[in-house]
Amino acid sequence: MFRPYTEKEKAKLAEKYTPAQRAVIDVGEEAVTNKHLAYQASARQNHWSLKYYDDLSKIDPVVDHPVRAPYSNTDPNLRLKTDDDLDEDLANFIRNLPENEDSPEADEAWTEFDKKLRLTVGKEEGERNPRSAAAPDLFRPGEANLDGKILRLPSTESKGRTEEAPPALLRLMQMTGFTREQIIALRVKSIVDHRVVNQTRLGKIGKMYYLSVAGNGNGLLGIGEGKSEEPGEARLQSQYRAIRNMQPILRYEGRTIFGDVKGKVSATELELYARPPGFGLRCQQYIWEICKCAGIADLAARVTRSRNPMNTVKATVEALLSQKDPEEIARARGKKMVDVRKVYYAGLV
Amino acid sequence: MSLVLLANTCSHLQNASKARLGLTSIPSTSLHLRLALALQNAGFLSTVVRGGQAPPPPHLLLNHPTPNNEAAEIEPVTQENVASRRLWLGMKYWNSEPVIEKMQMVSKPTRRIWMDTEGLSTLVLGRQSGYVKGLRRPGECLFVTTDKGVMEARECVEKKIGGMLLCRVY
Repeated sequence: MFRPYTEKEKAKLAEKYTPAQRAVIDVGEEAVTNKHLAYQASARQNHWSLKYYDDLSKIDPVVDHPVRAPYSNTDPNLRLKTDDDLDEDLANFIRNLPENEDSPEADEAWTEFDKKLRLTVGKEEGERNPRSAAAPDLFRPGEANLDGKILRLPSTESKGRTEEAPPALLRLMQMTGFTREQIIALRVKSIVDHRVVNQTRLGKIGKMYYLSVAGNGNGLLGIGEGKSEEPGEARLQSQYRAIRNMQPILRYEGRTIFGDVKGKVSATELELYARPPGFGLRCQQYIWEICKCAGIADLAARVTRSRNPMNTVKATVEALLSQKDPEEIARARGKKMVDVRKVYYAGLV
Repeated sequence: MSLVLLANTCSHLQNASKARLGLTSIPSTSLHLRLALALQNAGFLSTVVRGGQAPPPPHLLLNHPTPNNEAAEIEPVTQENVASRRLWLGMKYWNSEPVIEKMQMVSKPTRRIWMDTEGLSTLVLGRQSGYVKGLRRPGECLFVTTDKGVMEARECVEKKIGGMLLCRVY
């Protein structure tokens, strides 16, 4: 029902789509009928129809995609020009000078050059209209050079090598959306293992128990338990469960926790304490492993009462998950909150 | 100034939070009133209204009791009704979580703790001062009764006044 493509259009389409994609597009376009178009063009009548009129095919710059003024003039990559850069500027100026050097145009060109000469390389507003050093700008998440400090969730696309993966791994990949490479890149540790026995009337049935912890070293953390007659199988089971259970935890400045938190599982009670940069992990082995997986670098911990390894691990994860976001607390109380450290270091902490 | 009533109030507010109550009442004393206003100032409570045994009627537009409700004026406190007066507090919740998670006494009825500005500033910085633990949780507040009224520990440090520690709230 559409006008057929001309040869010119076909050639253009061939640049963008593979023959297979073209075939699909052709079939799709053939399937569209007048009825569909009429239905699409009319207003929706069903339950989800909008209560007001809006042409959703157009983007309203005010409502849909507000164009905002730049957040800050500050450019993290701003640097002073070297002597060579300045020489280059001067050479450019001389090259573009009018022929008659005493003419008023030449004078004007010089004034212009003198006025517009920049001493730094980078964002122009950063030099012309900088913020006071006493109250530097805050950066937006993407603006500053904070490589690796922002929590990045894995992309859901998977590619390559899926055929060769063993079934258990394949299922894990399907469940989590991680690729095989991403799973390999995770930090996974089995930290508790022992033999467990079930006494039946036929005798003792022994199995191996494993407790594993997994994390991406950047804010994702999960634990998993596995039990099987085969140690290798139990270990793998626990590790895959740990990967599957991974969830984001709050981290202050990507290195420590927000305030002190408590965790309790059974008779194991523990306290985790936030610590300043460079403090390191001063805690017992199990908590240390968990912090390594989660990407926490500064922390102290005290396990009061029972120190059962399994419960310690569980209580630590519980404590880390029980952290509260100060922003949320501030919103709940209707207060404005400013992280003074962030302001002092201009968001570069 | 009995602290026993205050201890009861702390427990009561915790319980009311756990039960997700929207409005609750505490005995009306001058200390309670000043503390409730300080809590409201810090954002822990939505409303503080003085009323009788029954909750005051809600405001026509706001739908909760307010102290300046023209439709239902607050009964002035007299010698006859003073014993039956109660403070009606509006509890706050955010993301299905209570804003007052915990409210604990620092001074006890049998052991009151006074602290000067220096001690308070140590607490506010998150360090222990005497037997009192510092404020180390995000958003933790300590309320202090001073001769300038009940206020938050940080405000006390700002104004350089000390006082008796009442309770910590987070």
